[in-house]
Amino acid sequence: MNSDVAWRALESHAAELKSRHLKDLLADAGRFESLNFAHEDLLLDLSRQRLLPQTVDGLVSLARACDLPGWIEALFQGEAVNNTEQRPALHTALRLPASGTLEVAGEDVVPKVHANLARMAQMVDLLHHGQWRGYTGEPIDTVVNIGVGGSDLGPMMACKALDEFEPEQAESIEVHFVSSMDGSQLAALLEQLNPATTLFIVSSKSFTTIDTLANAATARRWLQDASDLPDEVLVSRHFIAVTASPEKACQWGIPDTSQLHFWDWTGGRYSMWSTIGLPIALKIGTDNFQQLLAGAHSMDEHFRRAPLQQNLPVLLAMTGIWNINFLDIHAHAILPYDGRLAHLPAYLEQLEMESNGKSVRRDGSASPHRTCPVLWGEVGPNAQHAFYQLLHQGTEPVMCDFVVSARRYTGQRETLQRQHQLALANCLAQARVLALGDAALGSGQDNSKPWQRYRGNQPSTVILLDELTPRALGALIALYEHKVFVQSVIWGINPFDQWGVELGKTMATQLLEVLDSADQPGAAFDQATNGLLAAIGARRGGTS
Amino acid sequence: MDGNGTMRIAVWGDELAAWVAVAQLAAFGNDVSVVRHSGTAANGGARPGQSSVRAEPGLMALLESAEAQGHLRAESDDQCLAADIHWLAMAPDEEDQAAALVQRLAQGGKTPLLLVNQSNFGIGASDRLQALLDHDIGQAVLCLPDTLQQGRALEQFGRPERLLVGCEDSAALALLKALLRPFSGGVQSLQLMTRREAEFSKFAITGMLALRLGYINELANLADLLGVDIEVVRQGMGSDERIGRHYLAPGCGFGGQHFTQYIEGLAGLFSEKRRSTLLDTVLLENQRQMELPFRKLWQHYACDLSGKTVVLWGLAFKPGVASIDNAPALRIIDALLAQGVQVRLHDPEALPEVREHYGEVAQLEYCADKYDAAEGADALLLLTEWPEYWSPDFGRLAQLLRAKVLVDGRNIYDPALLRAQGFDYYGIGRL
Repeated sequence: MNSDVAWRALESHAAELKSRHLKDLLADAGRFESLNFAHEDLLLDLSRQRLLPQTVDGLVSLARACDLPGWIEALFQGEAVNNTEQRPALHTALRLPASGTLEVAGEDVVPKVHANLARMAQMVDLLHHGQWRGYTGEPIDTVVNIGVGGSDLGPMMACKALDEFEPEQAESIEVHFVSSMDGSQLAALLEQLNPATTLFIVSSKSFTTIDTLANAATARRWLQDASDLPDEVLVSRHFIAVTASPEKACQWGIPDTSQLHFWDWTGGRYSMWSTIGLPIALKIGTDNFQQLLAGAHSMDEHFRRAPLQQNLPVLLAMTGIWNINFLDIHAHAILPYDGRLAHLPAYLEQLEMESNGKSVRRDGSASPHRTCPVLWGEVGPNAQHAFYQLLHQGTEPVMCDFVVSARRYTGQRETLQRQHQLALANCLAQARVLALGDAALGSGQDNSKPWQRYRGNQPSTVILLDELTPRALGALIALYEHKVFVQSVIWGINPFDQWGVELGKTMATQLLEVLDSADQPGAAFDQATNGLLAAIGARRGGTS
Repeated sequence: MDGNGTMRIAVWGDELAAWVAVAQLAAFGNDVSVVRHSGTAANGGARPGQSSVRAEPGLMALLESAEAQGHLRAESDDQCLAADIHWLAMAPDEEDQAAALVQRLAQGGKTPLLLVNQSNFGIGASDRLQALLDHDIGQAVLCLPDTLQQGRALEQFGRPERLLVGCEDSAALALLKALLRPFSGGVQSLQLMTRREAEFSKFAITGMLALRLGYINELANLADLLGVDIEVVRQGMGSDERIGRHYLAPGCGFGGQHFTQYIEGLAGLFSEKRRSTLLDTVLLENQRQMELPFRKLWQHYACDLSGKTVVLWGLAFKPGVASIDNAPALRIIDALLAQGVQVRLHDPEALPEVREHYGEVAQLEYCADKYDAAEGADALLLLTEWPEYWSPDFGRLAQLLRAKVLVDGRNIYDPALLRAQGFDYYGIGRL
């Protein structure tokens, strides 16, 4: 079957199915059994999606027609799936066990991946043992990760999610994250920190990211102000560079001995598995970090080998395709019912929207289909008090991902276990009400006022973890990474570049020059920009 | 007690307080027994296990003469258990052993006995021991906190300025007074309180000493930054009679299992009952202080010790002991090893313990001679003030060292003298 035929088959199937409310679909016997899927401890429940088991068959046919199996193999084999930059996207190689091999351009990358992981483990070990010394000889007790985008969101998300896995030796190290270009996070943080015992991780793939280098320069200046020692000594003791551009990091002043590397074949938003994960390893220890990698690797193997009909990333992706391209839903809410996953929405916003927020296909043609929806999210119970009103009674169709674990606080105090029970109950309740609407209360409840009515029929996916562990988080994130890849294959786009962020950088450089110079009124941009430049100039009293 | 009124006393424990009690009680004609250990001398003689106790001035002579006169005997457990008075001066971590011992006494029969507890088991321990005995038949526990100072212990026991006694039983008190009559010169110097109060007093005194040590170290570190000589300041402080001179010597931290454990116990109590971090802070700062010699070295070599060789003089937590429990040397060695430094170690007694702790490591050399150890080193760190380190041949040292860098962790050297000989000298708060 070619893909056009598969699209058309699904379109006509959708036309029939659209009239059927989720409450009716959920009345079908055996629905949960036929629409829940599992890999290890992770359960994917698609039974609240507006589809039938045979829809899944049609979607899998579409995937096959788009040569998904071929693309999956190309991804894992290290082919140049990032065609605009002519390089592979090998985040899966970052989690291969040491015994694995993968040749890229005639070189086995696994040994160098593990060599860098081993160097990272040594650094973690030194820091955990209080033997990384600052300029006074005191042990480093605070680590500040300076990075933005993929060098920030992944590590921050994982550190928050796995905080309770902190081993005892890691308790002596406080980990902070700083990303914002304007320095507002850094300035507030530096007020409280002791320069003699603070280490900065400068995380930047290119080591040219202006946001990160601006923060790093402020941190460096802070150290220089605190100590009379030569800058070179301060930088070598208080900075670690994590980068794919070692020469640039050297030029900035960080010696090779204080660098950890990764490679251009790792995309920023796919890099938490690399040495970019240093803050994670510092927080949860090297053993737990290995578990995170092992969980992701297990999902990789599942994605590569499981039949498409039982393949979790494929099913999650194709469900999204169904909602976006056949049911015309273009908003996607990420709703973890677990405060530890508070940064998951922001992480997935980048992963999905920077990967698939594109309208040009690999061959340069315009995409005939709608692509990545708008993603946003929040910790579910908090979002209930914020934007759920729109989900329940607004005009916009929204697809939701609920993420929750079955067990939490085992062996801890009863009131905490109770709180998890409460969160779980709310998660199940919201998924049910979104799907069923008023019908959730049973029949005979139709005497309510119009503004008390719930129309339901909002589709959702529940991802149920046994427990939130490093391994489970690794699998969960890999699930979404591969989901994004599958969707990109269906849409025919390259998910591994991000040309859309370049023009803004160029323009900012031009504007910076104008702001730096005194003659702002002479600027020759568009009227709106010129007008604002003039207004800023006036407010600054004519000085820049 | 036998017919002619001589008291039969068994002393339990291997602490300084135990041996001082043994020597002094036997010297005044009491029959004193100590437990014969498998490790004791072939003649069965009673000898302290720790060199710091054996080094106590006058102690060994007194023990030998007591033995010669037949007032001191090393005996089996069972023989010791038959005594009328049991003097417990055991280590702070031996409360379980003490309880087991008292249980055996309780099972031994319904005879009156006096148990003098001089061990630092913490508040409530003496009450717990009493609970194992039958007070109604005259089995009494009293608490006599150990306030002896090393070096002056015999004199302090022999002519105490004051005694704190935790005792809630008049017969037991009378017996103690009889026992101590030769020493106490009457009862006017005796302060009577409950057992718990006595234990609390001991706690309070020890905590105060730790606070003083912590404070003088803080002052020394500040003096370092402000260009003031702490030695001068400390003499000034000590001349104020409200302050006095004791426990005001700055250095690279206090160690030892007992003192540290005891302070930790008190700190834990403060933290649990009062949410007070006062003593926690003292302990934390003490840990930092232990690394101070390393930091001085680190700064001297501009944060780069790679390829350096460093010699350490003194590894035991204090002079006179072979123990390295919580010794600053351990933290210094760890820090140096982590920086890839070649470390040469010397100590008159503690080398075997250090070797047991680290084993054979390429970066560590265990040296029998202090001058040999110094040969070719880039710095000498003095960590324990053993007598043999006080006045070395500096000329010889200067020739042996590759770099004349000396970090004096105990302020035992004269900075001017050393600088005159071309050393880079670093003390704790010294100019």
